[in-house]
Amino acid sequence: MTTTPTSGTRPDEIRRHNRTALLRRLHVDGPCTRAALATELGLNRSTIKALVDGLASAGVVAERVPAQRSGAGRPSLLVLPQPHAAVVLAIDVRVEQVSMAMVGIGGEILGRHSWNLHRKSREPGEVITHIADSSQLLADELSVDVVGVGVSVPGVVRRADGQVHEAPNLQWTDVPLGKRLAAVLRKPVQVGNDAELGALAEHVRGAARGAADMVYVSADVGVGGGVISGGSPLRGTGGYVGELGHMVIRHDGRQCYCGSQGCWETEVGEPALCRALALPEGSPRGAVVAELRSLAEEPGDPAGVEHRLGDFTYWLSLGLVNVVNMLGPELVVLGDLFASLPTEVVERASATVHQRSLVSRAVGGTRIVISTLGRDAKLIGAAELAFEPVLGTV
Amino acid sequence: MSEPILELRGINKSFGPVHVLHDVDFTVRAGEVTALVGDNGAGKSTLVKCIAGIYPTDSGEVLFNGEQTHIHGPKEASNLGIEVVYQDLALCDNLDIVQNMFLGRERGRAGLLDESDMEQAARKTLTSLSVRTVKSVRTPVASLSGGQRQTVAIAKAVLWDSKVVLLDEPTAALGVAQTRQVLDLVRRLAEQGLGVVLISHNMNDVFEVADRIATLYLGRMAAELPTKDVTHSQVVELITAGRSGDLGIARPENAVV
Repeated sequence: MTTTPTSGTRPDEIRRHNRTALLRRLHVDGPCTRAALATELGLNRSTIKALVDGLASAGVVAERVPAQRSGAGRPSLLVLPQPHAAVVLAIDVRVEQVSMAMVGIGGEILGRHSWNLHRKSREPGEVITHIADSSQLLADELSVDVVGVGVSVPGVVRRADGQVHEAPNLQWTDVPLGKRLAAVLRKPVQVGNDAELGALAEHVRGAARGAADMVYVSADVGVGGGVISGGSPLRGTGGYVGELGHMVIRHDGRQCYCGSQGCWETEVGEPALCRALALPEGSPRGAVVAELRSLAEEPGDPAGVEHRLGDFTYWLSLGLVNVVNMLGPELVVLGDLFASLPTEVVERASATVHQRSLVSRAVGGTRIVISTLGRDAKLIGAAELAFEPVLGTV
Repeated sequence: MSEPILELRGINKSFGPVHVLHDVDFTVRAGEVTALVGDNGAGKSTLVKCIAGIYPTDSGEVLFNGEQTHIHGPKEASNLGIEVVYQDLALCDNLDIVQNMFLGRERGRAGLLDESDMEQAARKTLTSLSVRTVKSVRTPVASLSGGQRQTVAIAKAVLWDSKVVLLDEPTAALGVAQTRQVLDLVRRLAEQGLGVVLISHNMNDVFEVADRIATLYLGRMAAELPTKDVTHSQVVELITAGRSGDLGIARPENAVV
């Protein structure tokens, strides 16, 4: 989401920059009138006209007379992005399943597919083969041409070439995922950490729109976090920021597979939630969601929630206090499995953060909210990752 | 762990002299996709129709949410929150998506239909399932593709705040790409906490979406197992022979008399 400053800019570079800015505005915020574009981008009306005409002749946008008129005079034309003009393939690799979607400009999901992973089908080779088969089918069905690919992986990923160093829950080590996918799909492939992409999605299209500093915390089997700081992703050296789940929180806690003990993830991850709900570990996601929902629906029984999720809420709150103190976000978005938690749990965690976090008190109460994108956040984030280099070239 | 949302115990069903279901036990758990597989004539569709209240059962008990119930007709099944999506879709070509979804259960008062309310509810349901492939909810069903029709049929089942959705070969008439889109939808139903039963002949489909696999063999329940504990070939053996190693129906010579 950043543009590199150049020294001495030629007019065609300015034009390209403006064109990209305009397209990004339409891609992120949806259809908009020419007049509003001129105001928002701070450009002259005639410049906007030239840019929109250029994009329209390339088939990337279309113009229409708006249905609702505002004020007197000739109405300004509505500029609509055309989803089929540039389509990316978004892939979300999870521990239990892979989902993929074809996403058009403007963030419209045109077609999707997903499948469960079992022992053997979880191996990198199997996953890559299945992705290649399915992407061809989806592309043929929709008769679109994919211009870029974005992948979300629950593990430590090197951004530059998509090398997956370690994805412990998938049991992947040193998988050159980016290179291998680029070789079979013959398209540019970007690979990112799942929580970082979730943060990106919430920042661009979800609950954290317009928030410059936010943290996205999500639970699947493991717990991960993504950070947006000052409007851009905080990546750290090599892009390895985001292992919030391995923040040590309980000195006498359970052994974690990462080699440490008492990690946050061992107290608030999916297995921990299964234990709290007395479900067998490794229950399907739907079963956990159904159990949480039935807990929330039990009429007038906050004691039930307290009884069964009291400890869970305590550890969740404690971790969030640390996260807020460390990263000082404007709001924290809870995603994926956390998004199915009963409201009482979120409210209590939120109250604890307000009470115990110095930073939260200083900023007048850090908001803790539930993701609005649900299960699709990482998929949408992967699509945005793929769009980043594409918007400048269409 | 909470009790299964739907449980059948010892169901028997005959059509005249033909004994179709023999003491069938079957459970559906909320949030899981249970695949129901079996050879032609094994009794899969009959079992589904018994659950849906279309056929009365001869004997056996049905527990819904842990409470014993009797399902005497399709209306009672849908009142409990059981919806069925049939093989042959059962949508009306000449009506649009909204009209189809509310067919027979239209909203409105005093002989007037509340079109805008129904349209909103239909749109909301499609959005909640992340269905974005249908352009307008006022499109006549005749102009939709097979996959889109199946999507509408499934959305119709979800609209009624259902707890259990039974899908009778939802992908039988679809191409490969559309099949995958429908399977994706099936999984998302389960992730929303519904109990989903999927009848399918396609082993790949079953292994891609199901959490549990129940195999019927000549009207008997051969095995009901978590997908991660069985292999492809074991399931095929269960379908064709009713047993695989220690799994399935015991050999007659080993049966305890």
